Amino acid sequence: MDKFGSIVRINLTTGSIKKESLCEKTMKEFIGGRGYATKVLYDELPKGTDPLSPENKLIFANGPLTGKGAPASGRYMVVTKSPLNNYIASSNSGGFWGAELARAGWFMIILEGKAQKPSYIWINDDKVEIRDASAFWGLDSHETTDKLLAAVGDDKAKVACIGPAGERLSKLASVMNDKNRAAGRSGVGAVMGSKNLKAIVVKGSSRPHVENQDEMKSVLATAMEKLKTNPVTSQGLPTYGTAVLVNIINQIGGYPYKNWQGAHMPEADSQSGETLARDFLTKRYSCYACPIGCGRVTKVGDREGEGPEYESIFSFGVCCGVEPLEPIIEANYLCNEYGLDTISAGVTIAAAMELYEKGYIKKEELEGGPELKFGNAEAVTYWTKKMGLVEGFGKKLAMGSYALCEMYGHPEFSMTAKKLEMPAYDGRAVQGIGLNYATSNRGGCHVRGYTTSPEVLGLPQKLDPAEYQSKPTWVKIFQDLTAAIDSSGMCLFTSFALGADDYAAFLKAATGFEYDGAEALKAGERIWNIERLFNLREGMDTAEDTLPARLLNEPIPEGPAKGMVSHLPEMLPEYYKLRGWDSKGIPTTGKLEELGLQ
Amino acid sequence: MIKVLFFATIRDYTNEKETTAEGASSVEGLLRLLCARYGPEFEAEVFDGGKISDRVIVLVNGKHIAHTGGPLTPVKDGDTIAVFPIIGGG
Repeated sequence: MDKFGSIVRINLTTGSIKKESLCEKTMKEFIGGRGYATKVLYDELPKGTDPLSPENKLIFANGPLTGKGAPASGRYMVVTKSPLNNYIASSNSGGFWGAELARAGWFMIILEGKAQKPSYIWINDDKVEIRDASAFWGLDSHETTDKLLAAVGDDKAKVACIGPAGERLSKLASVMNDKNRAAGRSGVGAVMGSKNLKAIVVKGSSRPHVENQDEMKSVLATAMEKLKTNPVTSQGLPTYGTAVLVNIINQIGGYPYKNWQGAHMPEADSQSGETLARDFLTKRYSCYACPIGCGRVTKVGDREGEGPEYESIFSFGVCCGVEPLEPIIEANYLCNEYGLDTISAGVTIAAAMELYEKGYIKKEELEGGPELKFGNAEAVTYWTKKMGLVEGFGKKLAMGSYALCEMYGHPEFSMTAKKLEMPAYDGRAVQGIGLNYATSNRGGCHVRGYTTSPEVLGLPQKLDPAEYQSKPTWVKIFQDLTAAIDSSGMCLFTSFALGADDYAAFLKAATGFEYDGAEALKAGERIWNIERLFNLREGMDTAEDTLPARLLNEPIPEGPAKGMVSHLPEMLPEYYKLRGWDSKGIPTTGKLEELGLQ
Repeated sequence: MIKVLFFATIRDYTNEKETTAEGASSVEGLLRLLCARYGPEFEAEVFDGGKISDRVIVLVNGKHIAHTGGPLTPVKDGDTIAVFPIIGGG
């Protein structure tokens, strides 16, 4: 099975580097990427392992389509046990790093142990070395990338690294690749930092294997036509980026304002994708083989960088009550440089603002820094920097919203699900996405099951966001399909134009395995269930399948969705039933047997 | 007075972010009225023959017209109508 790439298992404690072959059965059943890596973690990680101990494993995994020319197929996954919530961490990133790993002949990297000193890994085709990174420790992701490329003597190599936030074990730390692409969520950067691993530098020179080239060409032609004629992938995302969502989410009244104390911001257009494109965009950025190009290269004053995405505008903007784009963009740049997850960083600052305004955080604790008041743009950039450097009061922020609010005795102000900060759609105004947050295996995350697409955007069909009876069915389908897409190596954004049958056709062409749409969805369901089993083994109480009390009990106070609360209690039993789980949310023996997980 | 907001590429046809209108009692009537104001390119985007185009999202006070009665959704003074192209993100 080495034709699809091999596994390299690196023990940073002992320095051992071993090549292993992929298991054909696992690949068929779990596809690759998110699925395959979770299967490895589930099989190998002892229950109760401390996420920041040498015993945790950190897995970088490609999908069988990564780097093989399918549209937007540069994605890789980082899978580990999360230090933020002790459950599955499963972060996805684009750029070019994953495709380069495929070109070097590798499918997956399993990292174990802890290096005695700061180290990086240099993968040059089949040569894999552990090298000293002492000279790069403390540098931000951009400096690290530039200096490592010089150190390996190949400016075409690709770098995935951590910044100061990961080195200092911030639970919001991301892994950055190609400077500005992030495997952002769940604190995967802290796990990398705990292993004294600064970076993985990759250079490859081979063409990744595709089982049936003619079939791949045919599938590619069909998919490209769909992507080129779909208004979202051919116009909306390329022109405005993901920030095109600001106005519509605000207009339906689901744009979480001031730490979810509201859901509508009258001035939202000033931070919209339209304004970003008009005043700050210098060019688009496209990841490997991407025909969409949703990335934003922007300039503010003499600073140039990438972003912000819609989610970052929400977290540093509306969620913190900040209107202008300039400080939001600056905070985004800082996160890219320090290696911080923008969603978690902004939402944690918003929680701190609520704690401060309600008198729980005292002014003296801020050591002269800007007051944590909603709307204070200076506070957003200043405290993002402190969080990234894990300095002063930034140490508390760097633990994340839940730990911060719990520390002050008010966890109810933490807008998290399973301790992961929720993204930019209010689960009261958009019922299905709330159910998705509550049931997401990694916690509050929109891209585990993006039902915003049918609920707000009308894709693939128009659902009423306020209606909740039909949502469990949609959430399950979206979660299962997303698990399959994440595992394939293609970008989720292609799903605005493509469906399960298209992904199955790509997988079949690339691997020769007999996938169809139903089988791809079944693999997604299998992946969803093994993630669930991982969390349950780690002690997750299914009562954690919930949302902050604010979303369940406090009606939206104003705007178009005024008066709405989440109907999670009504949706959850039906969701469990559809999943084949018992009434408490535990997968039944029958379901596990059906999925081959018994 | 009915307030009408335009977003994303719809602004390319209207050359303004918002306007006001009066004299329409339904969404379809309002959009017909706006076609007279903004011309054939706007009309070609908003209508397909006699029907409101699938290429646009129309909200009345934050609710998609698909859930409020479609083209015949009533509009009245004080309402806010938002017109978007089909968009997506994440």
